[in-house]
Amino acid sequence: MRYLMTARSTETTPAPDEKLFTEMAAFVEEMTAAGVLLATGGLAPEGVRLVSRGDELTVTDGPFAEAKEAVAGFALVEVGSKEEAVELARRFRRIVGDGESTVQQVFGP
Amino acid sequence: MTAPSGPRGGHPAAPAPEVHAAVSAVWRLESARITAALVRMVHDVGAAEELAQDAMVAALEQWPATGVPTNPAAWLTTVAKRRAVDRIRQAEREERGHGELARALETAEPRDDPASEDGGAGSDGEDHEADESADILRLLLLTCHPALPTRTRIALTLRLLGGLTREEIARALLLDATTVTRRIAEGRRILARQRVDFSGAPGPEELGERIGAALEVVYLVFNEGYSATSGEDLIRPDLCLTALRLGRLLARLAPREPEAHALVALMELQASRQAARTGPDGEPVQLHEQNRGRWDPLLIRRGFEAMLRARDLLAGPPSTGERPGPPGPYLLQAAIAVCHAQARTAEETDWAQIAALYQALAHLLPTPVVQLNRAVAVGRAEGPQAGLDLVDALHLDPALQDYHLLPSVRADLLLRLGRTAEATTEFRRAAGLTRNDAERAFLLRRADALLRADALGVTAPGPSLGAAADAFLGRAELDASSRRSYAQTLRRLRTGLGDTVPLAEVTDDQIGRVFRTAWGDSAPATWNRHRAALRSFCAWAGRETPADAVPRRAVPATAHRGPLPGPGLRSLLRDPTVPARDRALWRVLHESGATVAAVLALDVEDLDPSRHRARSGRAFVCWHPETGPLVAELTEGRARGPLFLSARRPAPARAPADAADLCPETGRRRLSYERAEYLFKQATRRIDPAGRGFTLRTLRSGY
Repeated sequence: MRYLMTARSTETTPAPDEKLFTEMAAFVEEMTAAGVLLATGGLAPEGVRLVSRGDELTVTDGPFAEAKEAVAGFALVEVGSKEEAVELARRFRRIVGDGESTVQQVFGP
Repeated sequence: MTAPSGPRGGHPAAPAPEVHAAVSAVWRLESARITAALVRMVHDVGAAEELAQDAMVAALEQWPATGVPTNPAAWLTTVAKRRAVDRIRQAEREERGHGELARALETAEPRDDPASEDGGAGSDGEDHEADESADILRLLLLTCHPALPTRTRIALTLRLLGGLTREEIARALLLDATTVTRRIAEGRRILARQRVDFSGAPGPEELGERIGAALEVVYLVFNEGYSATSGEDLIRPDLCLTALRLGRLLARLAPREPEAHALVALMELQASRQAARTGPDGEPVQLHEQNRGRWDPLLIRRGFEAMLRARDLLAGPPSTGERPGPPGPYLLQAAIAVCHAQARTAEETDWAQIAALYQALAHLLPTPVVQLNRAVAVGRAEGPQAGLDLVDALHLDPALQDYHLLPSVRADLLLRLGRTAEATTEFRRAAGLTRNDAERAFLLRRADALLRADALGVTAPGPSLGAAADAFLGRAELDASSRRSYAQTLRRLRTGLGDTVPLAEVTDDQIGRVFRTAWGDSAPATWNRHRAALRSFCAWAGRETPADAVPRRAVPATAHRGPLPGPGLRSLLRDPTVPARDRALWRVLHESGATVAAVLALDVEDLDPSRHRARSGRAFVCWHPETGPLVAELTEGRARGPLFLSARRPAPARAPADAADLCPETGRRRLSYERAEYLFKQATRRIDPAGRGFTLRTLRSGY
């Protein structure tokens, strides 16, 4: 089964430094090689928002006020159980420090 | 032995079942690394397995009280290594030398304090990582040791590298746990007798000799999972995942081996078709009939990437100008999988390329299956006669004289050549050779269909439309609903063009005319359904689909209308966390087969609870006695008003225009179709393989 892990920054999230980049790269490489990580990436803080209501579609250019709560990165993992996904998210959080992660199962294709 | 660390990072004491799940999750992810390190320390696969097991038991005992440690993997590693040191000390006291102990202590003591928050990835030096990889590769070569029987290699690999328990292995391989235990014990015994070098990474020469066995084990595990088409056994897709993981791991451990990357490519590409390989009722769907939209593009991309790596390795560094090495069997099989993955439709398949690849593969693996697959590919690429020539050459091979697929493939080719009588004989011969009942029935049906057609006086040049249609519809792999649907399409063609017209003489324009007359004014979905049936028939009969005469029509996006999976629905209807109103509605819809509008329109006054039914116009909506209590729950304390009510009272301004839609006793309004639909879609999302959820109408079609 697949899980999508998304990470959000909070007020106390430290700015990334050299050490974090190194550890993160090692973690990503290890997970990729172990066949667990299928895709991952960071997300730009700015973006375009589309809201539809009835027949109306509103398109707004970012950045948005609540940028702090925006998703900063994602990882798509393929694991045998929810607990495995949580364990991976746990390791990820140990590397990046303060902040939030969400782990959700992915259905399909 | 004391707990190496207390709860850290704010994890409170966890209840036992959650701890159990956490321990096995960590175990699945870490067992290869931990066990490999232990094997290097104690030089004994059996002892390492026991130590690893002990560490897991310690976690199960201690974590409920202490909470799951911040770095569970490091915790397990440390406990296991400490126990290994204890064991070595004890052995040394008994008689062994000092060298082993010294080395073991050296590997166990540093950087293994589980209290250290950074025990995980990233903080360890590159040397340590290299050691770790060497350990794991060494372990994998051990569990796939040539001295072991293949079945033991599989059990040991799943146990020590896959992190599966004996029970899980037993379930995955459809064995009983005792057999698995026996195989593992047998493996331990055999390995104990081998002179094994437990230290350092295997050299390139040794790796080259041994990697084939490891790749074979991984692919066997994959096929064991992949060939499970019964949708009920969920453990087996899990086996595919385990094999993919092992394969990806092996490709990293042996990054210079083209075949390791090729195997990964092959498995990724095959796994990408997993969802499309079974139909709604779990029946297998053949490659050329699969809905390619359901192939997983992510896995296809990964497969292509692995394939490129394998090819690059084979070609060698561009500067040396060396000629590329010969492709291995996995690379050739992966290349065939790439051909299929690149074809957007079955008709676009590059059969010439596939035939060439099979020819190369047949040199390396001259197995009957490969030879026959090659004949099938050649039959597609160059026509039935070329395929038949190859099959006839195989006929002379005594090893193949009892192989039922040979006459069966031959019959198909003969049929396409219009040699119906010979095809009938071959189908019968194949039926006599197969040991599988279902397959025998299928082959006999095909033979009978041909005989019937023959009795109608069908002769060359080639099978008649009617005979071909009968043979096509008689195939065992067709499920009842597809057969019905295909038969509908073909009936139009047969009445439009005549049963006895030779299939080869039917032109595209004629087919187009029949289609336009019959379904020209129908909805695009209907047109496309018949078109799909035609395509399937053409692919089977070995002719091009008349793409110009019968073009695909654009369909407006619609809601998902696949059938509901029975087991998922049954558990949903019993799920106590779902509100009684929703369950009652779903069950009544499901059991009565009445329309959604009719059921939502029921009022309390219509009910006849003693007979488990309600009056709806001049008919009755009936339900199962088991549903009775749920319905009673809804009407508790109410003598009139709508049976199914919305959860909230409407705002005064939004009161329904029709007073009959408002409950006079509670002030709530009748549950709307939209809302009921929404709730059902939400609830069924988790049982829908496509993740979209089902419409209420699908409930009416029964389990």
